[in-house]
Amino acid sequence: MRYWRKLGLLAPLALAGCSTDNMRLFHPVGLMGGLEYHYTMWITGIMLLIIVPTVLMTIIFPLRYHHSRNAKYTPDWHFSAVIEILAWAIPLGMVVVLAYMSVSAIYRIDPWTTPALADAPGASLPPVKVEVIATDWQWVFVYPDENIATIDDLVVPAGRRVQLTMTATEAMNGFYIPQVAPMVDAMPAMISKDAFEIDQPAEFTGFSTDFSGAGFSWMYFKTRILAQADYDAWVKSVQASQNQLTYDVFTQKIAQPQVNYGAVPSYFSAPNAGSLFGKVVMDAMMGKTYPVPDSLTKSVSSTEGEAPASPAAK
Amino acid sequence: MASFTKAGADTVLWNPGADAHDTISARTYGFWLYLLGDALIIAAVFACYAVLNNPLNANGGPLGKDFLSASKGMLQTFIVLGSVLSYSLATVALKRGSKLGVSLGMIGAILLAVVFLGIGLGDLAALSAAGDGFARSGYLSCFFTLILTHALHMGFGILWMLVMLVQVGVFGFTENVVARLLNLRMFWQFQASVWVVVYIYVYLFGGAH
Amino acid sequence: MQVAVDGPWSPLLGRLTLEAIPYTNPILLFTFAIAATAGIVVVGSVLYFRKVGYIWREWLCSVDHKRIGVMYMILGLVMLFRGFIDGVMMRTQQAIAIGPDSPGYLGAAHGYLPPYHFDQVYSAHGTLMLIFAATPLLTGLGNIIVPLQIGARDMAFPYLNAVSLWLTVAGALLCMISLFVGEFSNATWVGLMPFAELPSNPGVGVDYWMWALQISGLGTTFNAINIITTIVKMRAPGMGWFRVPVFTWVNMATAIIGVTAFPVLTAALAMLGLDRYVGTHFFSAGFGGNYMLYINLFWTWGHPEVYFLVLPAFGLISEIVSTFSAKSLFGYPTMIAASMGIAGVGWVVWAHHFFTMGMGPNLIGFFSAATMIVGIPTGVKAFNWVFTMFRGRITLATPMLWAITCILLLLVGGITGMMLSASVVDYTVHDSVFVVAHFHCMVLVIGGGVFAAVTYWWPKVFGFKLNETLGQWFFWTFVAGSVLVFVPMFMAGLDGETRRLDYLWDTSLRPLMLLEVVGIAVYFLSVFFFLAMIVVSLAKREPAEQDAWGTGRSLEWLTQTPVPFYNFAVTPQVHALDELSWRKANGLEKAQPSTYVPIHMPSSTGLPFIIGMLGFACTFALVWRIWWLAGASLLAIILLVIIRSFDKNEGYVLPAETIAAAERNLSTVSVIAEQSKVLPVGGHAEAH
Ligand code: HEM
Ligand SMILES: [Cu+2]
Ligand SMILES: [Cu+2]
Repeated sequence: MRYWRKLGLLAPLALAGCSTDNMRLFHPVGLMGGLEYHYTMWITGIMLLIIVPTVLMTIIFPLRYHHSRNAKYTPDWHFSAVIEILAWAIPLGMVVVLAYMSVSAIYRIDPWTTPALADAPGASLPPVKVEVIATDWQWVFVYPDENIATIDDLVVPAGRRVQLTMTATEAMNGFYIPQVAPMVDAMPAMISKDAFEIDQPAEFTGFSTDFSGAGFSWMYFKTRILAQADYDAWVKSVQASQNQLTYDVFTQKIAQPQVNYGAVPSYFSAPNAGSLFGKVVMDAMMGKTYPVPDSLTKSVSSTEGEAPASPAAK
Repeated sequence: MASFTKAGADTVLWNPGADAHDTISARTYGFWLYLLGDALIIAAVFACYAVLNNPLNANGGPLGKDFLSASKGMLQTFIVLGSVLSYSLATVALKRGSKLGVSLGMIGAILLAVVFLGIGLGDLAALSAAGDGFARSGYLSCFFTLILTHALHMGFGILWMLVMLVQVGVFGFTENVVARLLNLRMFWQFQASVWVVVYIYVYLFGGAH
Repeated sequence: MQVAVDGPWSPLLGRLTLEAIPYTNPILLFTFAIAATAGIVVVGSVLYFRKVGYIWREWLCSVDHKRIGVMYMILGLVMLFRGFIDGVMMRTQQAIAIGPDSPGYLGAAHGYLPPYHFDQVYSAHGTLMLIFAATPLLTGLGNIIVPLQIGARDMAFPYLNAVSLWLTVAGALLCMISLFVGEFSNATWVGLMPFAELPSNPGVGVDYWMWALQISGLGTTFNAINIITTIVKMRAPGMGWFRVPVFTWVNMATAIIGVTAFPVLTAALAMLGLDRYVGTHFFSAGFGGNYMLYINLFWTWGHPEVYFLVLPAFGLISEIVSTFSAKSLFGYPTMIAASMGIAGVGWVVWAHHFFTMGMGPNLIGFFSAATMIVGIPTGVKAFNWVFTMFRGRITLATPMLWAITCILLLLVGGITGMMLSASVVDYTVHDSVFVVAHFHCMVLVIGGGVFAAVTYWWPKVFGFKLNETLGQWFFWTFVAGSVLVFVPMFMAGLDGETRRLDYLWDTSLRPLMLLEVVGIAVYFLSVFFFLAMIVVSLAKREPAEQDAWGTGRSLEWLTQTPVPFYNFAVTPQVHALDELSWRKANGLEKAQPSTYVPIHMPSSTGLPFIIGMLGFACTFALVWRIWWLAGASLLAIILLVIIRSFDKNEGYVLPAETIAAAERNLSTVSVIAEQSKVLPVGGHAEAH
């Protein structure tokens, strides 16, 4: 059949699809990522049990019952109680199983409370708290207990739970580190939460997933998991930084719409780090915005616009 | 097909004249569907009101319970119902075929509606003048919108009645005019029900004093 | 009471200044040149062939459901092409702008579209494809086929039908003119909030998007009312609910969604409008606003909307699979139950579009499970199609190839949709291109269904078949292009590639992006074959049979081919679900009516067209805040409606002799031929 030959088109792509080397989600790291991967595989696998036979029937029947083959023909056969009952019952059964899995999964992975992390090795240690503020268009990470802050560089110790609290200044953002932590929105005037724990030093890239304006594509950040000793040393060095992040610096400079081309990190000591996050949320509720003028939107990443605009450079 | 009935000698294949459909019934049915859609627009505004009716969304400004008067709302409700009654009298006159009766009924309905709008819009104006206009808070935005959505429907109904006053005079009770008068009755009752829901939900449940 | 906006404002022209016209942008200049040439060619040839009167009388003023349907479909195809070009721009941009060293052209630092343009391009792509391509294509099909399938003369409200069309056209015009005057929204087709509020979006782009959706949504709501009334009130005698063809049933389901879901969008957009124009605080982050409210309202419409689009496609697949299997549709009653089930469940799943916002596990669990329930009726449909083919006598003509492909695409889209509805999976791929690939599978089901239907019903409407060879080439290139674009897209999604990126920092995505561009090239081939198919078929025009495919089953194949403007010379009596099959089984398919009776027809009128254009003027004026023009055109619309209510012309009567003559001499009364030719003087005889 010539139709068979044409379907052969799909083969190379199907093969490419099977090699998962460069697909991050097939290589989870840590408990949260691992659980997500686990559920994805099970849910997809269960569905394939039905989808694959249906696909086969959809392809085989037109060939088998092609008019040229004079196969059995029953023009008036249009109802069968048995088949109809199965046609409803099989998807129903599958959906019951899938829904059960999905619901039980959300009670383990819920990013707000992350019950799953109770089993992690770091569960007995105090968590590292990081407050995340998405601005237009950078990520500000505030460490309230360490009195430091960074831009576009999330540095945390291995083997401890990282407890993230998030908000945004102007647009809705999606906070996401593939392989590591579930995606959670960071929203102005609201607080959201996420958590993860990685037990070995490693590096990842996190980024924003929810479109927020002209600088959106440049809203990615390094995520570095350091050994505890290295982390402590890093905190010390940042605490000594001359670069200070205060509420005024934040509102007048950092939160003003700007693109950080290349996501160049910067580091700050922040003596009042504990109060910054709350103030930012409060401001947004009172109606504070950081307007994005049209002229800025037009100049981003156009030839006149592109210049390193990292606040550290200023 | 197994369920085929066999054709016999007397089987009818064609129906000359069967396409003369009852246009009034189709128009009424279509108008019901329009009202359904309109009701959903209003339901969406109500849903917003339900969400925004809390101190957080008052942004430091007043909530309905701080400025709404249940007795004034009751008065407005009676006026609206009076207006519906007046229109119903017009439909009674329509059955008798009395042009004068229909016109008087509609004029009564219009006058009462104008009084109602006067009270309602006056309240909104007073609220704005006191610094609590629609831009004060999310709550007030929604409150103004809800009241004005209803007022817009009323205004539209008034315009429709004015047109019908002319058409009754010019055409008399033709099929078209009667169909329109009947749809207008549905519309007028619909608008009144919206107000009643506003009164119950916003005034009474909202804790107006 | 006008809120302060950026830039100058004058009473006469509002915000409109010369700067609004982007004459310095080479891409837009080029586009303008093409659009202008096309416009000049069209208008010029109309003038040259002296067809102005014909176009005006026979098309723009038409209230005939088939012509309105054809115009809907032309609009849909033009918008489909424009949306496709947007897609081409996105794919090429993403194939170039990868990594910090990637080249930049035409003033962009990377690729050739700086974010200012890129963001408009994909916002326009989504809006155009869903609202101005898919919707008109399906509405057009419904318009043409539903009255024929139920043995009716026309829609219940022919004038309203024309108004719906021209309001939709007004919305499309608004999107098109935003290319050359001002800018389109960059806030995506869903309108991200609070990003679409004034502080982040002071330009006119969001206003263009908002009004385009608003005015076309009005048209869609009217059309839905019309379809429901038509189906409920105008079925031919003998057609009980269980003899209504599936395509008509799904149109019923879709129209129910239309009347109930679109008002929610209307309300949400109206509140956004109030925020942007008079300074209320519905959706702002501060001042006691609540932007989650918008997101909930939008998806309360948005999810039913996707079923609004896909249900008609399901109906098309049902019709075609059964016709080309020469077999009754398997499980007709459960098919209808499944359609209604999908329409119903679609109402309680909207929150799956924002699992990541953190509703708490109870709500997330509910919406996750509810979404999965949609999988049941969808699965039932697939099984029933498969069993319709089982023991059939299958012809693999182009429509059937499309239909089978649609089933396969539906299965892929379904399984990925079910994955996404598990919130833990969604936490890894939400807002990634995986989601984009998921819904493009579904949207391709719609596209494929439309192409199948166009090929299938073309002979009924135009009297000749489309070229089969070129149709097959079109099909295979289109399928190959889709595979090459969307399989890599799924893979990129699993790699975590976010959607809406104008610049990719992740250089490992380059091979996938290049593969997608190859897919786009193949798509271009398919566009070529599509146009070739139309041109060649138009040139050949081999007359088609009344029952063009030989295995037609429902009433539309009982009319003459092409369908005369009055549809059925005499209303048929219905005896079975597949009436034509029934007549064939009884040897009655050739039976003609013995007597003719006069037919009452609605007269043509230019009012709907004028109302639509005034609607365009009004919304355009609102976009630019030209208050006087907006007020004047709104007033004009109201006046026109009132004037129309004083119009005593209630149509004309087509005498029995004219019909008898016309049925004998069919070539003069096709949809394409002029209605006025067969009418007694002036077309307004015997008003009653
Ligand atoms: C079995 C049926 C389906 C299921 C279970 C399903 C599930 C989902 C889910 C969970 C999402 C949210 C993904 C996310 O944003 O993270 C989604 C997105 C989407 N789906 Fe489906 N879906 C189904 C069928 C359809 C159909 C039939 C269509 C359209 C014809 C469709 C169009 C869309 C669109 C347009 C989006 C993305 C909207 C956006 O964010 O821009 N889906 N679907
Ligand atoms: Cu697309
Ligand atoms: Cu959805």
